[in-house]
Amino acid sequence: MEIRPILSALSRNKTGAFLIAAQIALTFAITINAAYVIRDRLATAARPSGVDDEDRVVAVRFAMTSSQNIDALQQRDVATLRGVPGVESVAITNQIPFGGGGWSGGFAVGNTRESPNVNAGMVFDNGDVLKTLGVKVIEGRYFTPDEIMVIDPDTSRDTPPVVLVTRELAKAMFPSGESVLGKTIYLGNTPDAPAVRIIGVIGLMETPWASVSAKHLYSVVFPQRLLQTENQYLLRLKPGALEQTKQAVLAALAKNDPDRVAGRDGLASIAKMRAKRYRGEHAVAGLLIAVTVFLLIVTASGIVGMASLWVNLRRKQIGVRRALGATRGDIVRYFVTENLLITGTGVVAGVIAAQLLNAALVRQMTLPQLPWPGLAFGVVALIVLGVGSVLGPAVRASRLSPALATRSV
Amino acid sequence: MFGYYLRLGLRQLRRSPVLTSLVILTLAVGVAASMSTLTVLYMMSADPIPQKSDRLLTVTLDNAPADSDSKPEDIPRGLSWLDVKALREGGKGLRRSGMYGTGGIVEPQKSGVKNFVAQGIAVDRDFFAMMDVDFKFGSAWRKEDDRDEARVVVISRAMSQKLYGDESPLGRTIKFNNGEFRIVGVLGQWHMLPRFYLMENGRRSGGSTMSDEEEIFLPLSTAIATEQDINGNVNCQSDAAPGYKGLVVSECTFMHYWVELASASDRSDYREYLHAYVGQQKARGRLPRPDQTGLYNVRDWLSFIGVVDDDTRLQTWLAFGFLSVCLVNTIGLLLAKFTSRSGEIGVRRALGASRAQIFAQYLLEAAVLGLVGSVLGVVLAYGMLHIMATQSPDLAALAKMDSLMLLTTVLLSVAAAVLAGLLPTWRATQVVPALQLKSQ
Repeated sequence: MEIRPILSALSRNKTGAFLIAAQIALTFAITINAAYVIRDRLATAARPSGVDDEDRVVAVRFAMTSSQNIDALQQRDVATLRGVPGVESVAITNQIPFGGGGWSGGFAVGNTRESPNVNAGMVFDNGDVLKTLGVKVIEGRYFTPDEIMVIDPDTSRDTPPVVLVTRELAKAMFPSGESVLGKTIYLGNTPDAPAVRIIGVIGLMETPWASVSAKHLYSVVFPQRLLQTENQYLLRLKPGALEQTKQAVLAALAKNDPDRVAGRDGLASIAKMRAKRYRGEHAVAGLLIAVTVFLLIVTASGIVGMASLWVNLRRKQIGVRRALGATRGDIVRYFVTENLLITGTGVVAGVIAAQLLNAALVRQMTLPQLPWPGLAFGVVALIVLGVGSVLGPAVRASRLSPALATRSV
Repeated sequence: MFGYYLRLGLRQLRRSPVLTSLVILTLAVGVAASMSTLTVLYMMSADPIPQKSDRLLTVTLDNAPADSDSKPEDIPRGLSWLDVKALREGGKGLRRSGMYGTGGIVEPQKSGVKNFVAQGIAVDRDFFAMMDVDFKFGSAWRKEDDRDEARVVVISRAMSQKLYGDESPLGRTIKFNNGEFRIVGVLGQWHMLPRFYLMENGRRSGGSTMSDEEEIFLPLSTAIATEQDINGNVNCQSDAAPGYKGLVVSECTFMHYWVELASASDRSDYREYLHAYVGQQKARGRLPRPDQTGLYNVRDWLSFIGVVDDDTRLQTWLAFGFLSVCLVNTIGLLLAKFTSRSGEIGVRRALGASRAQIFAQYLLEAAVLGLVGSVLGVVLAYGMLHIMATQSPDLAALAKMDSLMLLTTVLLSVAAAVLAGLLPTWRATQVVPALQLKSQ
């Protein structure tokens, strides 16, 4: 259609058109990269932890005043907690998903330097941890009660002979896909590294650190109760258990040893710890969403402003065209086509700018590369934004009465 | 003339109020977004101890066993007690201190205050002078206390306030982790941000965070003797005997060591000293791997551990990108604003105003818009920082604007407005007076 006259009009007003195109290009480059980071961070924060009901599983850690008989105290505490109404199961462990701190070690297929160490979390299970978390054994078997060892770290460096591994760790250590049951792995790749035999594979289980890499699902479960003061009590509450249950749990523990002090977070659910762990991801996503929204508003208002200015400058021409027989639709089409040309140019420049910005960001920091489908979506979205913004001024222009517009000539 | 143009500029604010407020709003939002993110970046990468950051050094050693396959990036960031003990006894440097994070239960023995967990750090006496610590009451413990494993502590001002109110607690004993310690000092205003001396993981990878504050300081020798818990990373590359006693005679790393040199130029001298130390340890059968000693001053260390995380940099990048869009938008708005006044410019030019005078007047008008925008920008930036501060304790400590950042905000806003005003102003000077006058 009428592209040639539009182009010739644009060539007389290059500055405005160039500004709009530049703004579209910058907006495109920034929003596309921002949207991609937002998606990446929200996807990280939404990863499943393997805990079936994160609100019902709660944990608490204590600092002790004195080196008392930890073994007796742990047993007394577990017995007391099982008696608290609303508590479904109780476990003692050294670390919990999203907990922040914990144990990790290098595991190797062989005890020689040739086999690489794979770093994995080390979970100590007193026999109730998996049940309490709601994590299932998907292959092989669970520990029998007589396999659970009680180890005092002050006097012993013993390691239980059998372990469970997460499915992800099994895949990482034995990539061929064969069954890992019965296989021996070593706690380190040195000749004196302790050997353990895999008796079962479990599904997802988040590590305390919930790192961004694939390692966040690498864990080895040992059948042992460690006699250390840093242990956590892990509880699964019955559905519908109330705030009073949590108070009752803390009160029961305080009664068993009045001098100890609950950790900073008190009795916290896995859901709460998840929120704390991913606070950074949510903060980044929130900030970028705000920037993106503002950016789109600013750009849209810029297009509206510029289009209104042009409509005002071209009142006479519009009047003449209308007087010579152009319909309202023709006028609207004129401005929309003009905008499409400018926005299109801007978006093409924007695609290049987005790639350049992405390359710079990828070089500077760990960011994934832009996917093409996302770019295509962005192109359509910005063109819609451009046309949407120009529609208002264009319709106003089409309503100009020809008589009024030409009168001042 | 400057004053007159300034008054003209202020008067022009009231003309075409919609366009004016759009310009101001666009500028303010762009400036606020970039300045709030820049403030966090600036605070995060700030030198916590500028007066001596080039003279404070920390050391890393590769103490993995000979047959280890560890790569250079696996070299522990902490040190074993074996090395810390040897280095502090070696006597090299003006001041020296080993340190590790600890913590435990304080029993206030005061009605109404329950037992609570206090964060602590085990340090040598030199730590206080090295870090320019000021005291509200008392002072650091004596030199002999380090040697004698004395049961003495320095506590934070907040803890002193909590336990003893405004009174001086000097000479009182405090019950910490079931031991009795005599209070010899209470900290004053001292606070390090980032808390570089115990950090080894940058942000958000666990371990010590940048804004934590220790509440209780005890002599390192005392902490070892009384087996105080370790709050921090323990990294064992070879097997250790069980328990705390096994840990302190092993190659497990859980400590840091900082040394203050008399002048930054002594650094190469100190490097040679370390080289000699490693050689001497090799002769005793320790440190079997090739010498890969790391020596970092405060700034090197902060950049090595990555104290400024990717997300913060990303936010700042994107915020400045946002500002650039706002800038382009402002150019368009100013173009519209100035174009509508072609008639006025024509009259002024016809009456004898030079192009330079028109240029000065309109650029000043843009600067006035920037100045007004900066006021709104500062308000918005404070709002954004306030929102950021609620995200985490670290950000709460970092999201604070100092006078330098405040001044930068105002300057950035004015500079942005002037920059955006250049093109429209130049266009304004190109107005042909005859053409304008004719059409009226």
